[in-house]
Amino acid sequence: MSGTEGTADEPETPDEADSGTGSDPESGEESGSDLPVLTHRTWSEALRSGRLLGQSCPDCGHVAGAPKAACARCGSRSIETVELPTTGEVYTETTVMVPPEGVEERGYQVAVVQVGEARVMGRIEGETVTIGEELRLAGYVTGERNDPGPLFEPA
Amino acid sequence: MTRASVVGAGMTEFGVHEEPLAELFGEAAFGALDDAGVEPGDIDALYFGNAMGGQTENDTHLAPKVASHVGMAGIPAQRYEDACATSANAFKNAVEAVESGRHDVVLAGGVERCTAETGLDTPAMTRIFGSASHRQYEQPTGITFPGVFALFTKRHMHEHGTTEEHLAHVAVKNHANGTRNSKAHFGKEVTVEEAMEGPVVADPFRLMDCCPFSDGASAVVLVSEDSADSFDAPVDVTGVGHATDVVPIGDKETPHVTQAARDAASEAYGQAGVSAAEVDFAEVHDCFTGAEVLASEALGLVPDGEGGFAAAEGRTARDGEIPINASGGLKAKGHPIGATGTGQIVELTEQLRGDAGAHQLPGAGTGVAHNLGGDAATTVVTVMGVRA
Repeated sequence: MSGTEGTADEPETPDEADSGTGSDPESGEESGSDLPVLTHRTWSEALRSGRLLGQSCPDCGHVAGAPKAACARCGSRSIETVELPTTGEVYTETTVMVPPEGVEERGYQVAVVQVGEARVMGRIEGETVTIGEELRLAGYVTGERNDPGPLFEPA
Repeated sequence: MTRASVVGAGMTEFGVHEEPLAELFGEAAFGALDDAGVEPGDIDALYFGNAMGGQTENDTHLAPKVASHVGMAGIPAQRYEDACATSANAFKNAVEAVESGRHDVVLAGGVERCTAETGLDTPAMTRIFGSASHRQYEQPTGITFPGVFALFTKRHMHEHGTTEEHLAHVAVKNHANGTRNSKAHFGKEVTVEEAMEGPVVADPFRLMDCCPFSDGASAVVLVSEDSADSFDAPVDVTGVGHATDVVPIGDKETPHVTQAARDAASEAYGQAGVSAAEVDFAEVHDCFTGAEVLASEALGLVPDGEGGFAAAEGRTARDGEIPINASGGLKAKGHPIGATGTGQIVELTEQLRGDAGAHQLPGAGTGVAHNLGGDAATTVVTVMGVRA
């Protein structure tokens, strides 16, 4: 984990992002919506451009923050990619004082953030926040193999 | 309903060991065999747990390796990995094997080394433990395992008024219990003040809220109910529930309720035909003090929201209404990951036989073990009872 932080590019419009990913054969089939089938790749591309994508299940209504091949609650394979809000509130949080190997800093805050009907785990920058405080997506942190994770800041 | 019987139990001390994995496992395995009065050639199958040997010691394909070390090469030997619930899952499969009649006499157990004896320091081991969180959607944030349980506990504190002092009481209780257990990693009492002054690991957890890195092994010999009477001291396994929950944390419905534990407990109690109120004592997975609070509620041993209060009021102490972790728990007995689940079974076996020595509980007739893995997305709950 490099612990480096990235700032989101100017958010693309959904149409622009769609034309980019939709023409890529490795992105897989289009889902029912005009958004790409959600994989780690398409989720990461969206996050790097300042967007949070999730999945909605038309059968049970669950909205997931992490891409899966089927609904984690009911098993439906009809899940659709949805745009999640980039603002939300702290569901729970902790400040990590003993980091894993590869993270050079300590005393960083990690939170589970309620974004619309979904929740995602992210790093917090700026002021320390508490449960219920409002946040907005501020970019991303990168872990091992440069995988991105959401970075939030107080709204 | 009796599903299988434990007829032999053995474990190493949990603590710091320089011996390699196979030698450590051998000590626990022969302890279990000697206790049962059987020889290696009597064992029909090995259900073996080790969570991280590949990452920590570059040591994999361990089932036949340890089987070879203890004179059991040739039999079906399989390795399980479910993070910290590793050997409870091995145990579950061993129960099913003798229950179904597939095998007559089996050995279930596990081994792990997590201390600096592996050559790894705290940051390296913290990274390896963190591999149980979601690789793509959690690890990039820098979350650690103390952090995972801190997230659950903070939400529990927010909803139910659990305090850091409540958490400290869990540590104080389990450390006091550990002083009575000769196999425990820690044998020293701590005070609430000491616990609350320790360095923060991941808030609200301070050092004393966290279990240690431990080395150790544990094993039990299992037979079917029908053949148990030909052994000296059988103890019955009356229920084993195993459930999973969604990973990552963000996609769990209500993370801090640890739903897999509730589902596994319901299944295990149903098989055993007991209610939570009929449980005399419990060994729960207190990898962190907050985890014991959540487990005590998920098992129905205390009402939801009262786990912290119950610990602070002494209701879960060894002389309380429902003793939890009389062995010292993971907090004081230690947590050699792959040995922890069957270590709890060893503890239940000894308590139910009246053989637990200085930490024996009076009137131990029905005991429960709760062993979770990862972000509690795997939980195995076992009910055991004195043989009728």
